[in-house]
Amino acid sequence: MPSTRRGFLTMLGAVSAGAALAGCGQGSPGRDTPLRVLAANHVWTRAVRERIGEFEDLVRRRVTISMLTGDQLASAYNVKLNASATDIDVMMVRALQEQALFTRNGWLADLTDLVGGDAEYRWSDFQQAPRTASIVAGRVRSVPVVTERPVLYYRKDLTGPPGTLAELLDSAVRLHDPGRGVFGAVGRGQRTGAVTQWSSFLYSHGGDFVVDGRSAIGSPAAISAYQYYGELLGRAGPPGVANMSLEQAMPVFAQGKAAFYVDADAIYTSIVDPKTSLVRDRVGFAPFPAGPAGSRPYNVPSWSLGINRYSLLQEDSWRFLRWASSPAMVSALQAKGIPGARESAWADLATLTGFPPELAAAMRVNARNGIGSDRPRVLQVGRARDIVGAPLVAGVLGQPVAPAARAADVELAAFLVRDNRHREQR
Amino acid sequence: MTGAQRRLRWLMLGPALAFVGLMIVFPLVYTLYLSFTDAFGAVNAEAGFAGLRNYADALGDGRRFWPAFWRTVVFTVGAVAVEAVLGLALAMLLRKAFRGVRWVRTVLIVPLLTAPVAIGVLWLLILDPTNGVANHLLTAIGLPRQAFLGSVSGSLPTLMAIDVWQWTPMMAILLLAGLSTLPTEPEEAALVDGASAWQRFRHVVLPMLLPALTAAVLLRTVDALKTFDLIYATKGAGGGSAFEAETLNVLAYGLTFDYQEYALASAVLVLFTVVIVGVVLVVRRRPGREAV
Amino acid sequence: MSAKSWLRGGAITVALLVLVLPVVWMVASAFKTNVQITDPGSWLVFTPTLENFGNVLSGGELPSSMLNSLIVGVTSTALSAVLAVPAAWAVGRFRLHGTGSLVLVARIVPAISLLVPWYYLFAQLGLVGSHAVLVLSHMFVSVPLILWVMISFFEGLPVELEEAAQIDGLTPFGTFLRIALPLAMPGIATACVLAFISSWNNFMFALILADEDTKTLPVTLFSFVSYAGTDWGGLMAAATITTLPALAVALLAQKHIVAGLTAGATKG
Repeated sequence: MPSTRRGFLTMLGAVSAGAALAGCGQGSPGRDTPLRVLAANHVWTRAVRERIGEFEDLVRRRVTISMLTGDQLASAYNVKLNASATDIDVMMVRALQEQALFTRNGWLADLTDLVGGDAEYRWSDFQQAPRTASIVAGRVRSVPVVTERPVLYYRKDLTGPPGTLAELLDSAVRLHDPGRGVFGAVGRGQRTGAVTQWSSFLYSHGGDFVVDGRSAIGSPAAISAYQYYGELLGRAGPPGVANMSLEQAMPVFAQGKAAFYVDADAIYTSIVDPKTSLVRDRVGFAPFPAGPAGSRPYNVPSWSLGINRYSLLQEDSWRFLRWASSPAMVSALQAKGIPGARESAWADLATLTGFPPELAAAMRVNARNGIGSDRPRVLQVGRARDIVGAPLVAGVLGQPVAPAARAADVELAAFLVRDNRHREQR
Repeated sequence: MTGAQRRLRWLMLGPALAFVGLMIVFPLVYTLYLSFTDAFGAVNAEAGFAGLRNYADALGDGRRFWPAFWRTVVFTVGAVAVEAVLGLALAMLLRKAFRGVRWVRTVLIVPLLTAPVAIGVLWLLILDPTNGVANHLLTAIGLPRQAFLGSVSGSLPTLMAIDVWQWTPMMAILLLAGLSTLPTEPEEAALVDGASAWQRFRHVVLPMLLPALTAAVLLRTVDALKTFDLIYATKGAGGGSAFEAETLNVLAYGLTFDYQEYALASAVLVLFTVVIVGVVLVVRRRPGREAV
Repeated sequence: MSAKSWLRGGAITVALLVLVLPVVWMVASAFKTNVQITDPGSWLVFTPTLENFGNVLSGGELPSSMLNSLIVGVTSTALSAVLAVPAAWAVGRFRLHGTGSLVLVARIVPAISLLVPWYYLFAQLGLVGSHAVLVLSHMFVSVPLILWVMISFFEGLPVELEEAAQIDGLTPFGTFLRIALPLAMPGIATACVLAFISSWNNFMFALILADEDTKTLPVTLFSFVSYAGTDWGGLMAAATITTLPALAVALLAQKHIVAGLTAGATKG
């Protein structure tokens, strides 16, 4: 079949719609074309939207910011960019989730020269781990704007902060009293959602998802991490925990029904918000407890900004990135409780006054111990998470973990072969 | 038939046919085309020819495809059967006018008016294993707590129950419309002959109502097979931790938007479409043969 | 009152309670704080707050989405009726069920398989981001829906009237216009209300095909399911606001619906 896919599409489109599609040339957009930002529904987006007037004055162009949930955002990209859409300029993406695939698809503009060629922007000021996560095959594809680490939320009125994972499990089981409506621990048990939180447990048991390009989730370290996580939530968790994502787990803790909760530090606002929380004056924050391999939490860029390669406003898009992730903006947002990725902001203790002091201390410890990824770094991250999450769910449901881990290990190995082949096709 | 009549019927039917044709031909052909390629990641990139491999992959997939297929069947048959029985009962109850009947009929359509997304989240909240109202009520009357949507085995039945809650009124409305067009004489004659209420229903009303019932069941069946918003809003992509609520539609969505497996997803969608067409043909051939 | 009518009344009451209580719960939750929603002590007794409504309305997103939903719902329903009602009559009168079921294929195809191709097509035609895209996609659902409801409706109408009219000299089209259409009005109203509701609540098409300026209510509603935790109160307030206009339409059209549901009951 000699015709390219695009030719085939165009032909079909023409036949079906009866429209002449040829020569639908795109002139350069005028000043009244808005700069379109597609973003996640996140506190960062809302904070930036509040200040968007400053930027509009700067570029003399209207900016529209659309907000979608994380999964919906990914779907919107998939549909729109598959049609080479030009109606997205700036893309808020998850560097660890979609970035590799979007780069392979040719959807993300190359920012290497832009970030490097701008002394005022100070690319080297970004923390090492998030900066590395922005790079695919040697080229910068996004700039990090929000970072996340896990934190141990605990109930000060019930217990103190455990220093090790073993102590955490002991305390959780001891405090578990469903009859009185208090569970020892709550956390994410839902297959895909749990993988990112489980990563800290995996690293702290000395394991990793992939080692030297091969699946490592069948290793003894991984199996003991699965075992541990399953016991923590299975023995001390609330009913239905095996299907809890962030949205279900967080309210359980916020309602005062759990003694411990490990999740991202970025969600602390919901835990201390009087509108959503009953425990705001009883909550303590601790660094991630040490496992057999020490305390190895993740420290990742949860959200980054990239530029749609099909955008007709490349220059203004970069100006937006530059403005929204400038040293001044990152410091200002961090002071409002949105952790960024710049060393300069983290070095300035004044930017951490927006956080509860105990949390700020825990965040700094976790950032120091942190590992730059919380999920397998592959093209099809969603599929890999589904595979990696299966033994985790088995553990939470009280099923034997080792056989489930071995089955998942085989599946992940086959997946990696295929994923690598896809990666090399480009 | 005269030429004028032939022209007229095409004039009446043609525009609707043309509209649907224009909207559907390209996507269908395109999906069919994709199902024979190895498209992955982006569809606006080059892709190779894969023959029937995607179909073989889908049909040979005992972990996701076949469980999803059977879940789709169970969900649809279970939910629509209950909806048909309850909808028929409700329609018979509301058939004769009484004081406040207008109010009752208005209230009846309330679940229909609420967006499926909102309904999903609403029930998620009511059925929350820890904090939900449902469990507070259950424990108040001495019954054990349920995990509902949080449990692996309870999810599909719970989703079916929510579907029944939302769509039984729709069934009742369609059947009320059908009932209202029925002639009353046969029933009056049966009454004179001394037939009981059940006999009148079973032997007079039901046979006459069969075309409307078949149409309503078919309409609901096709929609139930494709249920997406509700499952997605309550169980997320993949249909839960053990894929316990993953139907064919949810699987196709996941393959498309989560895995970017466009080729495999297209094969699944083609197979799914074949299943739906098959179901439609079977339902239409059965009871209402002469009428539909 | 007889035992039978008591039984009937009881059954109707139970059915209505089951159908309506969850929605009442939704509306009540819209007036509660997030803490009160999940607190069993605050089920019935709580100090209502308008904060949720203030929060969801303050952005201005919800009112503009409502306008979009209204534009798309009304336009797509009206255009669908224009296409589908004559088609349904033709199918019913000329026994064109085979051809008619071609239109029903639209109801059968899973919507997911349409999204990517449609987006591509509409992007080429320069329609993406306009209301037209949403109207077209919603019509794709409404045309088969109205057609389906109207075929059985027209079939339920007595043929004799139309035959008599034709003997009196009316053309077949005149018969449709003067005899069938007026008789079918209640049915058309019912079908249109159903079509409008399905458009009003449609989520998947708008999610993909709409942009910031044409976003419809369910998409905005879903965006309240935010990244960091769920603002249940805000969501319930938004859901309540979403539901009320649809309810109002149903109430306004209720006379027609009831007429539609009871039409023919007195024919003889």
